[in-house]
Amino acid sequence: MTSVTDARPTERVLRTASDSRVARFVLAVSTIVVLVLVFRLFTNFGVFPESWDIGLADPIDRARRWLINNQTSHWLYTVFLNPITDAIDWAIRRLESILRWFPWYSYPLFTGVGLWWTRGRVAGALGLASVTLIGVIDLWEESFATLALMGVSVLISMVIGIPLGIAAWRSDAVARVIRPSLDAMQTMPGFVYLIPFVLLFGVGRVPALISTVIFALAPVVRLTEVGLRTVPQVTVEASEMFGATERQTLRLVRLPQARPAIFAGMNQTTMLAMSMVVIAAFIGAGGLGQVVLRAMQSIEVGKASEAGIAIVIMAIVLDRFSTGIATADPGRDAATIRWLGVGVSALAVVGGLLGHNAFPESLNWQFAPYVDDATDWARDNLYDIGGSGIGTGPFSDFVTLEFVTPLRELLSADIPWPAMIGIGFVLGLWARGIRLAIGIGAALFAIGFLGMWALSMDTLAQTIVGVAITLAIGVPVGILTAHNDLLRTALKPVLDFFQTIPSFVLLVPVITLFHVGRIPGIIASVIYALPAAVHYTDLGLRRVPAEIHEAAESFGATRGQRLRRVEMPLAAPELMVAVNQVIMLILAMVVIAGLVGGGGLGLEAVRGLRRSDAVGRGFEAGIAIVLLASILDRLTRAIADRLRPPAAV
Amino acid sequence: MDTPNETAQVRVEGVWKVFGRKPREAKEMAEAGSTREEIQTATGSVVAVRDVSFHVATGETFVVMGLSGSGKSTLIRCVSHLVAPTEGTVELCGTELTQADGAKLRELRRQKMAMVFQHFGLFPHRKVVDNVAYGLEVQGVDRHDRQDRARELLDTVGLEGWGDHYPQQLSGGMQQRVGLARALAVDPEVLFFDEPFSALDPLIRRDMQDELIDLQMKLQRTLVFITHDFAEALKLADRIAIMNDGAFVQVGTPVEILTSPADDYVRAFTQDAPVAKVLQACSLMKPLDGRAIDPEWHRVSSTTPLEVALPHLLGSINPVLVCDEHNTPVGLLHGDDVARVISENQQ
Ligand SMILES: Nc1ncnc2c1ncn2[C@@H]1O[C@H](COP(=O)(O)OP(=O)(O)O)[C@@H](O)[C@H]1O
Ligand SMILES: [Mg+2]
Repeated sequence: MTSVTDARPTERVLRTASDSRVARFVLAVSTIVVLVLVFRLFTNFGVFPESWDIGLADPIDRARRWLINNQTSHWLYTVFLNPITDAIDWAIRRLESILRWFPWYSYPLFTGVGLWWTRGRVAGALGLASVTLIGVIDLWEESFATLALMGVSVLISMVIGIPLGIAAWRSDAVARVIRPSLDAMQTMPGFVYLIPFVLLFGVGRVPALISTVIFALAPVVRLTEVGLRTVPQVTVEASEMFGATERQTLRLVRLPQARPAIFAGMNQTTMLAMSMVVIAAFIGAGGLGQVVLRAMQSIEVGKASEAGIAIVIMAIVLDRFSTGIATADPGRDAATIRWLGVGVSALAVVGGLLGHNAFPESLNWQFAPYVDDATDWARDNLYDIGGSGIGTGPFSDFVTLEFVTPLRELLSADIPWPAMIGIGFVLGLWARGIRLAIGIGAALFAIGFLGMWALSMDTLAQTIVGVAITLAIGVPVGILTAHNDLLRTALKPVLDFFQTIPSFVLLVPVITLFHVGRIPGIIASVIYALPAAVHYTDLGLRRVPAEIHEAAESFGATRGQRLRRVEMPLAAPELMVAVNQVIMLILAMVVIAGLVGGGGLGLEAVRGLRRSDAVGRGFEAGIAIVLLASILDRLTRAIADRLRPPAAV
Repeated sequence: MDTPNETAQVRVEGVWKVFGRKPREAKEMAEAGSTREEIQTATGSVVAVRDVSFHVATGETFVVMGLSGSGKSTLIRCVSHLVAPTEGTVELCGTELTQADGAKLRELRRQKMAMVFQHFGLFPHRKVVDNVAYGLEVQGVDRHDRQDRARELLDTVGLEGWGDHYPQQLSGGMQQRVGLARALAVDPEVLFFDEPFSALDPLIRRDMQDELIDLQMKLQRTLVFITHDFAEALKLADRIAIMNDGAFVQVGTPVEILTSPADDYVRAFTQDAPVAKVLQACSLMKPLDGRAIDPEWHRVSSTTPLEVALPHLLGSINPVLVCDEHNTPVGLLHGDDVARVISENQQ
């Protein structure tokens, strides 16, 4: 009896909630249409006026010149920055020389033993072979530079990140400061970090290392905090009841139980550091990234592929090893592995003393020529297959002419800039409220004032095309894997593989097929973001409880109906997270693709990094990238929240 | 103070615990007789424990029984000072916890008390033996000694040979044995149990209860035991406190509770209690007082349930002789007393 009277108001609340949702959406869309029409028909606004450019570039350039001139005299350098530079430089150099001291064969052997321990025999054998391959293709020397930079970056990230995570867990005040900073740090494409540090330190390994640490820090901090927070309270109480001090409880109970989470954080941090160290070749960090960069600039695809393979090997070995440590269980091989470890260590020392450090030249074998041949063949044969108008070339032209260029024109010219800002405002208002709306409006104005309006719209257009392609492929694949465990198992290693590859390296195979321009950047970004799209779609659909499936089925819904009416709406928030992730990944990649003629903000930023007279413009472009990323991030997150069903009361 | 309190190892006086922003208002409302719900809607605060006082003597088993949410866990956490009481004092082995600073409290916990938790609270990252040795490790006992002691205790609770497993590899009953061994390892004077057997299957629960009774016979510690199971309370307790809505409704021996429940709330429990099963010969026996013993009288052990002694009383005018484990007579069980308790329980 009570249930009947209770049900009515709830129902009414739900109905009005969804009614008002639809109403708000319709209102938002119609406002946008009206905005565009009014500005198109009654005004002649176009691109953001150039005269409104506040010219931030000049003072930045002046600052840069001043910094260069005062590098040896001003206290900022002599007291503060130079000692930091020297210490970091010393650490990297020191680590590199230690690494170089060991004999070459100790590396494949250590990798083999280590991966056997963490992942089993097959992984061990593959690890041994692939590390040897790095030497075979004659990239041994370059690898040390990358490895040393990685080592020091990861070490510093841990030394800063774990205590920071502990501090954030211990004090809510610290957490309130740290959490939004981490969010902001993760929103920005890693590439952007390089700019301010180049401004301050010039080019080289030190700014590379600092930006790497900042880029890679977030996961280890976050997961240390999460790990500590999720330690079961009862074990902490048990410890307290035995009269343990705070420190004892932390050391003996909390940290050991947080260990798996901390290790997961360390793994993610390592992988982020890897991708950043490669990108840091832009600012002269050296190593394998530099080889890729040089080769790509001179379109030596073979050489770029070799270095790319070496980077992928290093990344995968590090990933497999660092995800394995927490759970390593070699079982009955444990004793053998221990002895092998001791044996290889002894061998490493003996070999080091004997000076066996150079990789023997007799083992060298390059596959670059074959790749170059294949590239030539691809260019001759796939670019425009048999002159038929089918091939990668016409495809590029088609996408460019039909989608990218018109969209760019639409965003930057056809829609007048005030209407564009109005659209951002209305979307913010619809998705969350007035604060987000004002934030988006202000950020768009700022982009205009920086003189980055047209370039930003170019980048936005590329991003939108990339996101559309990624979702068009990724969501259906995610739907398939959610309903088919076999397919999911089969795809998992492929997706994992693509997620492990540092973003920059993905450009190599793509330019092989598509030459330079905007399209290879978009395609590389699609490959880069696809795993996330598949993963989150799959995750969202799998979270739909089994009873709901059964309930839908019991009403005789067809598969298609179930998917459209039940599963997708329930998975909608997760799908929106997918969209958010995809947008951020695509934007990051599109920006990096500035290097291969991607145009837009990325190109400007790349130029700023490479030419000292363009630092100011690069800086402006960097800020515009950050603003664009923040707008897209906040907006998609707000929409995801909006799609979440109302919380239980 | 009066004599029985001289030996009291746990003294709790006027303890209140209010969760929330407005403890004062909440407490005033509670004193004026408002229920927990009324107070929560008015102030947003929860009165989890209201004005509880009790003493536990050395070697006594004091059981707190109440439904879920009645404030038992909060009370035991106040007594062990895992949470600070809003008001009132707790004295343990002569030291007032409410006055003790951090170091003093740690010292008391290391030396005097230990706790067994409902969901075991074992450390999943430590082997069983290292779980048991934890209290000693915290005290700084060296590795060898503490492991020896831990293995000794594992033997005591019937887990010899399991030391090198991890807790999650053990069944629930075995895990709680580890919890018990871990608490006993520090040789505490007072042991707190927060529903230690609630998560276990009925059969295993009964085994654990029997084992705890055996252990307590040997060790004679002071136990404060929380349960929501009335039968368990009757079985283990020297005295029972019945808790409702944060306050004690009645405190007494199992027989007192069964024979004269204070109100309907308590009666709801006693009515369904299988008295003849849960009450043991020792709880109803009269002292011998030098009476002559007829060798013809039937003999039962002091832990025999009334149910088993009953057939020997029915149709006989003789009492049953109650003996300890050495078969020495310690008391007499009369048919009238048994009949009275059972009939009162049936009403
Ligand atoms: N940390 C806390 N904060 C707020 N309320 C609590 C807290 N702990 C317990 N309570 C409330 O106090 C009451 C008594 O809880 P508890 O002592 O756990 O009862 P029991 O152990 O008898 O089931 C419950 O209403 C519970 O919601
Ligand atoms: Mg409880």
